[in-house]
Amino acid sequence: MSKVLLQVINLSKSYKDKNYWLNRKSVAALAPISFDIMAHKTLAIVGETGSGKSTLAKLLVGAELPTTGHIRLNGQTLEPGNFKQRCQHVRMIFQDSGTTLNPSLTIEQLLDEPLQLNTDLDEAARHQLIRGTLQKVGLLADHMSFYPHMFSGGQKQRISLARAIILKPQVIILDEALASLDPSLRSQMINLLLDLQQQMGLAFILISHNLGIVRHFSDEMIVLCKGEVLEVGKTNEILQQPKHKYTKKLIMSQHFQLLHR
Amino acid sequence: MNLIDIRNLSIELQTATKPILAVDRVNLTMKEGEVRGLVGESGSGKSLLAQAIVGVLDDKWKVDADRFHWRGQDLMRLSPEERKVIISKDVAMIFQEPMACLDPTTTIGEQLEEAVDTEQLTGFFWQKRQQRKQAAITLLHKVGIKKHEVCVKSFPHQLTDALCQRVMIAMALARRPILLIADEPTAAMESTNQGQIFRLLASLNQLKNMSILLISHDLENVTHWTNSITVMYSGQFVEAGTTEQIFSQPYHPYTRALVDSSPKANMQIPSKSRLMTLPGSIPVLQHLPIGCRLGPRCPRAQQKCVRAPKIKNFHSQQVSCHFPLKDNYS
Repeated sequence: MSKVLLQVINLSKSYKDKNYWLNRKSVAALAPISFDIMAHKTLAIVGETGSGKSTLAKLLVGAELPTTGHIRLNGQTLEPGNFKQRCQHVRMIFQDSGTTLNPSLTIEQLLDEPLQLNTDLDEAARHQLIRGTLQKVGLLADHMSFYPHMFSGGQKQRISLARAIILKPQVIILDEALASLDPSLRSQMINLLLDLQQQMGLAFILISHNLGIVRHFSDEMIVLCKGEVLEVGKTNEILQQPKHKYTKKLIMSQHFQLLHR
Repeated sequence: MNLIDIRNLSIELQTATKPILAVDRVNLTMKEGEVRGLVGESGSGKSLLAQAIVGVLDDKWKVDADRFHWRGQDLMRLSPEERKVIISKDVAMIFQEPMACLDPTTTIGEQLEEAVDTEQLTGFFWQKRQQRKQAAITLLHKVGIKKHEVCVKSFPHQLTDALCQRVMIAMALARRPILLIADEPTAAMESTNQGQIFRLLASLNQLKNMSILLISHDLENVTHWTNSITVMYSGQFVEAGTTEQIFSQPYHPYTRALVDSSPKANMQIPSKSRLMTLPGSIPVLQHLPIGCRLGPRCPRAQQKCVRAPKIKNFHSQQVSCHFPLKDNYS
């Protein structure tokens, strides 16, 4: 039985509006939220823009400080400012993979950076690890001396995946990572992610608005709307019997039933 | 009568070294009042084809076709100026990023008034000015924007993406086009907003009998809204047929792979199982394979595939493949 990997307790985020200095207003971007993720499992977060799903991702990865609540990894609390501890275990892949890779570095230098900062491996060991990671994501060792512009969109997404898994993390956050790929490359990427999940016991947090991918890929899902949690549960149950009106609307808008044959 | 009938349209990019064939002998026919989907992944030349129809490609691109008929009239025989008159009267186009296509420095109202056709106005100039204003407001009403006072006064950045796209559609409707070319109209939008735009296009299609060419990179997004679909890959024609045919019995291996790789269309397969995919990636324009460009990725490819296949016809479903999957459905 797999154990609880990441535990989120009462996490919330609100921004202060600086315009009113006497009557300080605060805007709640994310109402308190709690959930657990097991190893080998995928949690999907669904919602429109402004629903707080990207805020949640930023909080998890440590780019923003939470207003309340805390995050536990393997029972150990992740401190808000301690990036060394966090970025080894929680990694993130972004939507536009092309712009997140530094164009002036080769792939080897790109992948070497997190290793230099977070591990004390010597140069030969790092080289070996980069070689192995590239093979894991379906690229060749020759690609190490290439620059990012020499790759196609799907391959760039694989490089950002390689950068995410090179530190052997336990949780990977996919922030719309599949949205901008072409369909035939997207299914390749889904297969690759599923394989890696089985091999490495990764937990994924998938932020997406394509319910087809969510259904195929995730075990549990959370529906967010305006920072509030509307539904939490098993993906199949929610998609088959949505309880909330908003979820129904979301499912209707993607014509889920239509292609159900 | 066919609204538009294109046979063997090729688009060549003139470069310093040698010309590159970006679109290779593509066929496209549309009936009046039809919604046709044009589906292809990035680099398949679908946007180029649309731009070639509208005639907005510059001198670098050389467009060539065996036949280009518009409502029975042969456009190939006309001079570019005459062609432009016909096309600009009857064809309108909307683009992918509505906010980027609108002028950020002027209000929506002014931009709409600019788009209104002068021939529809009568009387003296002060009467015309009034009519022009009124026409802009009517256009906004047509696309379902009720609060026209606010909308007319606002700048593009003050509106949401979906509203901007509605304004773009309003501008396209100004000259009462017969064919509307929608080049990925909902690419950067939320799914609920996507629904709005598609519903608007569908109602325009039904109420005004306007034909729509809906361009998309994703097969699963457009199927609900189209009568028929043309699939392209890397600048080549792949398959054309009704939406039902394309979805239930694709004859081309590429179409088959597209349908199979879509998680939405395969609700019956267990979750977390492997999806069917094609190996490899889309070829870049500089290194195109010879013959059938799917060749290196195709599971059924044989030696014959180094020659471009001829188009075969099965019950009005056209396929461009040497080895169509016709034995699978009998």
